[in-house]
Amino acid sequence: MKKIVVDGLKYKYPLSEALALQDISFEIEEGEFIGIIGKNSVGKSTLCQALVGLVPHFYKGAYGGKVLVDGLEVRNHSIADISRKVGMVFQNPFTQVTGSKMTVYEEIAFGLENSGLPREEMRQRIDEVLRLMRIEHVKDHSPFDLSGGQMQRMAIASIMAMKPDILVLDEPTSQLDPAGSEEVFQAIQDFSQQGITVIMAEHKMEKIAQYCNRVLLLHEGRLVDFDTAEKIFSREDLKDYGVTAPVYTRVCRALGVKKQGCDGYPVTLEDAELALRRSFA
Amino acid sequence: MHNIDPISKLYYILFAIIIPIILPSFIVSVICVALSVLLLLAAKVIRKTLPVYSFVFLVLITVIVIQGLFRPGNETILFHLGPFAMHKEGLLFALTIVLRVTNIVSAFMLLVLTTKPSDLVESLVRRGMSPRIGYVIVSVFQIIPEMMSTMSTIMDAQRSRGMETEGKLLVRMKAFIPLLAPVVLGSLINTKERAMALEVRGFNSRNPKTYLNEEKTYSYSKWIQVAMLLVTIFAVAWRVFL
Ligand SMILES: Nc1ncnc2c1ncn2[C@@H]1O[C@H](COP(=O)(O)OP(=O)(O)OP(=O)(O)O)[C@@H](O)[C@H]1O
Ligand SMILES: [Mg+2]
Repeated sequence: MKKIVVDGLKYKYPLSEALALQDISFEIEEGEFIGIIGKNSVGKSTLCQALVGLVPHFYKGAYGGKVLVDGLEVRNHSIADISRKVGMVFQNPFTQVTGSKMTVYEEIAFGLENSGLPREEMRQRIDEVLRLMRIEHVKDHSPFDLSGGQMQRMAIASIMAMKPDILVLDEPTSQLDPAGSEEVFQAIQDFSQQGITVIMAEHKMEKIAQYCNRVLLLHEGRLVDFDTAEKIFSREDLKDYGVTAPVYTRVCRALGVKKQGCDGYPVTLEDAELALRRSFA
Repeated sequence: MHNIDPISKLYYILFAIIIPIILPSFIVSVICVALSVLLLLAAKVIRKTLPVYSFVFLVLITVIVIQGLFRPGNETILFHLGPFAMHKEGLLFALTIVLRVTNIVSAFMLLVLTTKPSDLVESLVRRGMSPRIGYVIVSVFQIIPEMMSTMSTIMDAQRSRGMETEGKLLVRMKAFIPLLAPVVLGSLINTKERAMALEVRGFNSRNPKTYLNEEKTYSYSKWIQVAMLLVTIFAVAWRVFL
């Protein structure tokens, strides 16, 4: 089933001259894990925000084309309505703290209170996401007294607790160390395996290659390519878009070792190891 | 005191303001002030009230002096202050003002010092106040300390670069000005991003809200409110019939 359909999306921020998004069209199936990549300022965050309705409802500005999430046309529904289907985690964990709650536990409840969930269910969901994001031990702390990494986990937990069908994440691991990001990616993958559609803008290409079913490459507001990680990272012109392929891909490309049964180079450590062993055996 | 519901405390403020207006006698005002002070004592927060009271009295002393010296209608001289004469009428008038102000300030402190702002606001939102206004009030209490700590972080950074941030007032003022830009600008950007984050968590949803915390039940609130209402009615009756 098509979970997201974007058709000819164009968008210009108010007061700016250039289009931030130009003629973008793609479709995403239910349960897919999609990565959005591209160098700085190509429109990754803008595209993410177009999926939850912040573009255009929050910013206004000039808007063209169509975005359908789970059958809902974004342009015709309020952000509050869309938020019941699509959750979004932002880049900066600090500005996602509501500032009206005294503890992490209550902070996570914020979205649930707004959607009118019964108390019992709220508690159950909060306990579950606290455990999943490994922040149980700080549940009674003030949200502002957390480390950057803990705050980021809390931000993700707050959205996950709302159980959206679609989860949009804009660089959700910027404040985490490698071990922490790995944990968070694992948690997000768990969600994805429960059938939730995940869309994530991210600069860590190794992670994108490891977790995403397909990768969407953006450049200056245009969609360049939308395909498997192998296809995208094997593109000859990747450098022109300011993107560096995962290190495994670069090594295999230098050695001319392709992935078995496909035309591209390996993108993960496992695939690279397999391909290299086979070719040097 | 800490276990009395915030709404009753709000009524108490109203009560403490209204009663001396209905019955404008000295005794009544004194009784009201005494009652508030007793309650503050019972709540064990009297020490926190001292700075506020000292500030208020500082202001009130000027009122006393000015009214005592210059109030029109001053006739009876009580004593001399250098070349100026203190008058009885002015002093009495000043005394009523002092009592009124002390009374209101005490009643407010009873609320402020014994209630978490978030509890008060949640009570009000449950009774139909807009959640947006509630949010603004609570977040101001939370975010101001946050801004202060940003400020001191930046201050530390600047001190480590050799900027003088201590010493004379002028030096400190100078150190303060370059802070304003990053802190204010930062807060503005933060506000925009925070507004977006609130939106995607359904803040503007038109569905009826639920609450994580059960509404605290306060055993005496009915009685307290009824008692205050009775006293008020009694005061009105007294005023009208006697
Ligand atoms: N609120 C705004 N008003 C006007 N222009 C904006 C606004 N936000 C972003 N832009 C512009 O839109 C373009 C795309 O920005 P966007 O934030 O989507 O990029 P990005 O790919 O997320 O970048 P990064 O990797 O730095 O997060 C940029 O040219 C940016 O300057
Ligand atoms: Mg971005």
